[in-house]
Amino acid sequence: MPKLSDIEGVTLAERFELAACLQCGRCTGGCPMSIRSPLNSRKFLYESLIREDGEALLEREEVWDCTSCRTCSSRCPRELDPAMVMRAVRTVKIEGGRIPKTLMDAMESSLKHGNPWGRSRMKRTAWAEGITVNSIEEDAESERLWFVGCTPAYDPRAMGMAKALARIFEVAGVDYTTLGSEEVCCGSEMLRAGEEGLFEELSEVNKENFAELEFAEVVATSPHCMNTFIADYGLDIPVTHYTQLLAALAAEGKLPFGGESEEVKVAFHDPCYLGKQNSIYDAPRNVLKAVPGVELVEFARSRERSLCCEGGGGRMWIEGMGEGERNAQIRVRDAIEMGVDVIATACPFCLLTLEDAVKTTGSEGKIRIFDIAEIVVNSIDGSERSE
Amino acid sequence: MKIAVFVKHVPDVAEADLEVAADGRTLKGAGLPFEMNEWDRFALEEAVLIKDEVGGDLTAFLIGDEAAEESLRRCLAVGADRAVRLWDEALSGANPFEIAAAMRGAVGDDNYDLILCGAQSSDYGYGMGGPLLAEALGINSVALVNKMKVEGSKVLVTRELEGGWGEEVEVNLPAVISIQTGINEPRYVSILGIKKARKKPIDVLDGAGVDLSSEGGKLVVESLQAPPLGEGAEFLEGSPEEVAERCLALLKEAGGVL
Repeated sequence: MPKLSDIEGVTLAERFELAACLQCGRCTGGCPMSIRSPLNSRKFLYESLIREDGEALLEREEVWDCTSCRTCSSRCPRELDPAMVMRAVRTVKIEGGRIPKTLMDAMESSLKHGNPWGRSRMKRTAWAEGITVNSIEEDAESERLWFVGCTPAYDPRAMGMAKALARIFEVAGVDYTTLGSEEVCCGSEMLRAGEEGLFEELSEVNKENFAELEFAEVVATSPHCMNTFIADYGLDIPVTHYTQLLAALAAEGKLPFGGESEEVKVAFHDPCYLGKQNSIYDAPRNVLKAVPGVELVEFARSRERSLCCEGGGGRMWIEGMGEGERNAQIRVRDAIEMGVDVIATACPFCLLTLEDAVKTTGSEGKIRIFDIAEIVVNSIDGSERSE
Repeated sequence: MKIAVFVKHVPDVAEADLEVAADGRTLKGAGLPFEMNEWDRFALEEAVLIKDEVGGDLTAFLIGDEAAEESLRRCLAVGADRAVRLWDEALSGANPFEIAAAMRGAVGDDNYDLILCGAQSSDYGYGMGGPLLAEALGINSVALVNKMKVEGSKVLVTRELEGGWGEEVEVNLPAVISIQTGINEPRYVSILGIKKARKKPIDVLDGAGVDLSSEGGKLVVESLQAPPLGEGAEFLEGSPEEVAERCLALLKEAGGVL
């Protein structure tokens, strides 16, 4: 097993300047996992700094519980980065090869198939069959790349996001193209799970694609893809989330919403990678407010304080040690108590964890989960049908 | 202890739309992703665990072209001391007897105490490599092993039989043991690990020296066909709920299940 101090030849304490840690506990206090897992970022920092045998951290399996939502890092008064300490510990565990099997499969699939879901590259565009989707494979050129993402391309439920966006772009006359089956996983989750080498491999392919096709702008379906393009790729072109594009279209009156519709009470669940990590709070809300019939309400924990759904940091492929109610289940129960009809979100991982939570809490029929793009399309195509 | 492990680089055919090639006897392989044969991953892990426990050195062998070296690099990344690849174009599309002759040729005069390989490969699935190699070397062979322990000059193994039965066998070394999946938990091999292993040398042996003349006729593939389309299949369409309801109704209709 490699050692923690093997990374760049320095200890974790040196690498992350942990001598500055006050042990104030703000990191742990805000951690959405600490309520249900032994994960304790403050302890990780303390042990990295104080214990002579800092290597004992490698025995802590709860490091896999971190969702890399970065609440801890955003709350640290000394501007330290506990989330990066977690990632560094994961990286060493990965080099030692002893990692959860489900994560191993996702990583190997990302390398082999270019997606973490174990699906063939050839099936990446299966979601687009029978609908209008611009693609470089059909010679659709554009300066704007829509990066569909693996989960919206392959997961049967999350496909709703991709299909809805394609439909919106079509009716709003948005100029865009996609990479079709040339698209490769962005690597965000692999990097956050600690597999730095795999991230490099994947990001190189994407960077080459972006440069070769001379895109001037990237719009991502998933906040996770968007975030890694911004935070880790070092691209010199603007990268945005689709909710920002839809908000702009709505403001310009380019979304042909249906006129009359039933009143629906909607609560927006802020994805961590959209909100906490990129401060995009208003764009998704502005889209929802523009949809006729939508009454937007707020969770008690929203915006900067939003409760992480547990889908990030590779957690889509890691069961974790957490016990008791999952955060997504708490979210669904809270929404039902608020008398909400729909929880809207804008991230494929949030969509899936919340959908799961509706089932595991036995709440089918009481509440529904939609992506914002799906809500927009429901309004648009509902109007077409009534004409 | 001198340990050897044989690994094979195979296509991943999950979700692939396979087509029989023009010769009517092989499959079109173009565009398929390749990886280490699943059974061999367990054999490799077992070899590394044994090396860690009893000491010695581990040599990884592969019969394949240069593209297949990726699987050898995985071996080097997890602890193989040496990697050997043997190839000759004559081995392209070779039958299991020819492959075993090549395996025998690759081992040469090195006397290994223990040779491990996967019980079968996921592409053709003959399951003959291990036993035929043992035969060619004139040493013991045990197949479908799902538990093993080296004790001095012996190995205690459990073979997987049908119906959940196991057969315990004590075998004297040297021996070839072919490994069943599930014997251990193969570790993850990181990209960094594979990259580091690229710096380690791979010995390449010319397979032209292997005499295949007496092996070719032992097994000849005459033709290859996709399974014929059956009758009576019904595709259920609709939402998951509708499909589930229809499924339930059909099972009730058919009787005997519910």
